[in-house]
Amino acid sequence: MSFFSRSPWILHYDGSSCNGCDIEVLACLTPLYDVERFGIVNTGNPKHADILLVTGSVNERNIDIIQNLYRQMPDPKVVVAVGACACSGGIFARAYNVQGGIDKVVPVDVYVPGCAARPESIIDGVVQGIAALEQKRAKVA
Amino acid sequence: MNPILLAPLFLLVAPLFGGLLTGVDRVISARMQGRVGPPVLQPFYDLGKLLQKDVRPVNPIVEPLLLGHVVFMALSGAMIVGGVDLLFTAFVFALAALLLVLAAGSVNSPYSFTGAERELIVLLASEPFFILMLAAVSKVTGESTFAGVLASPERVAPILPGIVLAFLLVATIKLRKSPFDISTSHHPHQELVRGLTSDMSGRLIGWVELAHWYESALLALFVLLLVNWSPPLALGAFLVVYFLEILVDNSTSRAKWQLVLQSTWAVTLVLAGGNVLALFLLRS
Amino acid sequence: MSNLVSFLVVFPLLVGVPLAFVTRGKVRNALVVAGGAVIALASLATAIAFGNGSAVFFGLPGDLEPGLAVVAAEAAIALVVIVVSLQHGRRLAPVLATAQLAIAVWLEVTGRMPAADPARLFGFDRLSMVMVLIVGIIGTLICIHALGYMRDYQRTYPQTGGRRQAFFPLLFLFLSSMFGLVTANHLPLLLVFWEVTTLCSFLLIGYTRTGETIGYAFRALNMNLFGGLGFSLAIVLLAAQPDGLDLARLTAGPAGAALLPAIALLALAGLTKSAQLPFSSWLLGAMYAPSPTSALLHSSTMVKAGVFLLLRLSPAMAGSAVGNLVAFTGLLTFLFVSFVATTEQNTKMVLAYSTIGSLGLIVGSAGVGGAELAWVAVMLIIFHAVAKSLLFLVVGTLENRLYTKDMEHFDALLSRMPRLSVLALAGIAGMFIAPFGIVLAKWSAIRAFLEVPGWQGAAFVVILAFGSALTIFYWGKLLIKVLSTQAVDAYHRSVEDRVTGFEWFAELSHAVLVVILAASLGLLSESIVGPYARGLFPGGTGALLHLDPAVVSFMVLAVLFLPALALWSWRKSAYDVNDFYASGRTTNGEHAIAAALGGTRAVTLRNYYLVGVVNGEAVFRAGIVVCGALLTGMIVAGVVLRA
Repeated sequence: MSFFSRSPWILHYDGSSCNGCDIEVLACLTPLYDVERFGIVNTGNPKHADILLVTGSVNERNIDIIQNLYRQMPDPKVVVAVGACACSGGIFARAYNVQGGIDKVVPVDVYVPGCAARPESIIDGVVQGIAALEQKRAKVA
Repeated sequence: MNPILLAPLFLLVAPLFGGLLTGVDRVISARMQGRVGPPVLQPFYDLGKLLQKDVRPVNPIVEPLLLGHVVFMALSGAMIVGGVDLLFTAFVFALAALLLVLAAGSVNSPYSFTGAERELIVLLASEPFFILMLAAVSKVTGESTFAGVLASPERVAPILPGIVLAFLLVATIKLRKSPFDISTSHHPHQELVRGLTSDMSGRLIGWVELAHWYESALLALFVLLLVNWSPPLALGAFLVVYFLEILVDNSTSRAKWQLVLQSTWAVTLVLAGGNVLALFLLRS
Repeated sequence: MSNLVSFLVVFPLLVGVPLAFVTRGKVRNALVVAGGAVIALASLATAIAFGNGSAVFFGLPGDLEPGLAVVAAEAAIALVVIVVSLQHGRRLAPVLATAQLAIAVWLEVTGRMPAADPARLFGFDRLSMVMVLIVGIIGTLICIHALGYMRDYQRTYPQTGGRRQAFFPLLFLFLSSMFGLVTANHLPLLLVFWEVTTLCSFLLIGYTRTGETIGYAFRALNMNLFGGLGFSLAIVLLAAQPDGLDLARLTAGPAGAALLPAIALLALAGLTKSAQLPFSSWLLGAMYAPSPTSALLHSSTMVKAGVFLLLRLSPAMAGSAVGNLVAFTGLLTFLFVSFVATTEQNTKMVLAYSTIGSLGLIVGSAGVGGAELAWVAVMLIIFHAVAKSLLFLVVGTLENRLYTKDMEHFDALLSRMPRLSVLALAGIAGMFIAPFGIVLAKWSAIRAFLEVPGWQGAAFVVILAFGSALTIFYWGKLLIKVLSTQAVDAYHRSVEDRVTGFEWFAELSHAVLVVILAASLGLLSESIVGPYARGLFPGGTGALLHLDPAVVSFMVLAVLFLPALALWSWRKSAYDVNDFYASGRTTNGEHAIAAALGGTRAVTLRNYYLVGVVNGEAVFRAGIVVCGALLTGMIVAGVVLRA
């Protein structure tokens, strides 16, 4: 066990979505769920982040954004797709501008289903992400 | 105790002190917001992780400049306890702060650059106070070293009320607390992303964090200079000041740079400058 | 000693005269380099011959009397001023020059001028030694730099074509007069050298002869002639006093009521020469001269003549109202111009304001007096001369290569011109970073001001606290530009390769000097500056450098370690200057960000100039009013109240 499991910093990105999952992600920061208990911080900056938490689907105009953000995160890093849209495109899947889930453009480590995903399952997804982070670190080290 | 031995002691203890302080800060802030908050040792976990992460510098000079930032921040504290002239350390302290500005400025990206410029303004706002404070402490006690001030029979704080009040304001700047956290803050949600640390990754942020712990310890040393007759009382006073800073941090919004500069200079000129004037008139 | 000093005064003229007729570049280069080397060696020899003793006095070889030669020289200067002024339809300068000449002639004709002691025409002490070394080494390095600089300058300003013959002779004439100025002990003789430097400055500022530069040249001439007139009046007053014209005897101790009027007038001359407020505008105008001129006359030597005189006067005026008012003029000048410098975008102007400010600190130290502050003043003279000259040379080179003096256009200098940016870094570090001499002097000044009793002491400390913070701000801004990085194409990277060898040599030598001087601070203080300061203000026994020299050396090493680390990291680490955070947008090309609707947007980052908080022009005007009032008060205190 390393420091990664005690200090996972998150970058939250929202693609094409109804913003329902975003509300739930923010709910995780509120006193009711308080993810900072686990050392989780919402950084808002890829260069500081360990976990890329994506809600919403990939569309034509945000492909390079998601790829840039992912690329700018230093290793080890994991991606957690939160909600139906991020996992597969959800109800937007057949929209003319939507490509599908996040895994179309960056490798996804954890899928968190739900529409919208509940805070408990988001936190659970992040915890699974931490496990993946540890594995990757072990590989790097 | 031999001052030469105190210097390495400071180098070892200051990060522990600063890190713990940050941990307590995060817990208290969380409690003020109705949350539980992270473990007290969280800052150490964070630093440990940051040092383990991969680093991708944007240019080759960021890391040397940041290392310089850490080294000179640590040195300015070590020099104080090690018996170097107090006023001189104000200039070493300024050099340390400047190196952080240069590290961020060298990246030349919109967020880092704006953060660097704002940090420079913050430096401009706070520097006169530190020079005046250390000059006044030397004047009151007639001593120019840390050990001399602590051994002096003169009690400094009662003679320097203006300096003490101004310290509360300037400490807000140095601890990067709202409303004066214009260059970067401990909270991720601000208009500048993370200001001057925006383009730093991995251990680079770790260096910034470590230097900030030294800086917090340095501020505690300054309080000790003001409350020179009783170290326990000084520690208590510092903790009270720190608690007030957390309270202010959680109850105010960020100010514009104009307000930061004007208010700090006005307070420094009137309270600290007035105090120095009174001191010169009464003491000579 | 006599022979060496005579050589220093005469030899530059011998180099200068043939230079006026040389048209071939190679011959000029050879003459300047060889002449410069001889002058530098001669100044070193003079310093070595002097050793480290107390002041020595001597006359001309063969005990010649200056006599009427002084009046003749003044007449020649006045003639040049009158002719050139009338050519341009200026009236004030001829009036001032004629008045000075009239005074000199009147003194001589009416027999009021006492005979000079032929054995005490010149004097040489540690301060003279410091100045001779600065003029001899920094001065000749600047002349060598000018060889490269002027070649490109002539291309930029082709209209100067016919006059380029005059440039180098003027520089060497200036070196000659400067050697005379810092060694003269007989005041009328000193005045002659003083006026020759004024004349050189005037001719060099107006070098391009555009309407703008002619205006600035005359402004400089008028103000300096005004100061010179004060000098002449002081000589009138002192001619009636026993030993009044012997500078060393005049300033041996606190001036009595009989001498104070003359001291005040001499201080006025010193303040004009060192461009203190309200006279600062001439130095700002002088920035339109070619950069080697700025480096030589307007930062490292000629303006130092002003503070040199004030430092000589320091024992005479310390403790008097005159001394206090001089000190306030200098320190408030430092504060005011530091404010203005934060709003200035033209790099040469920033350097000018910083020069005025540093001179203000020296003036303040000289005005208050005391061994500690004399130490501060000499340290500032030394370190400022080297660091500021380096900066002017580097900015001159940058100007020739980038066609701009705007600091915003020095963006990403580290990527575009890595070697020049390191040189600029050395100069800027010398100006305001902790272990280097200027900061040490500033810190020692604050310490010394703590001992000044009453409200004056408090005012001095507060002024220095705020002024120091302002210098950190404006140098920091420039440093951010100098050290910033971005992706640069091959053409822009190649620009640096066209810098001439002369420029590299001069700038690199300066940078090495900055570091060596900083590292040997303890030695410098112990063997030269300390004994001088103690000799000037005998009695004190306390330490002058309140710091273990080992700490200074250690810090210099620590600071030097950073560039070494950077170089290592440059070679080793993988980095991508385009990989900055742009909210996820793609960054590409030369510092551009992909735009939302296609295409790219260039990133333009500009420094803060405190817009809306500090109004530079208003501050400068306020400074003129405040310091003008102080100056008037100083003259009144000296001449009328004799306090």
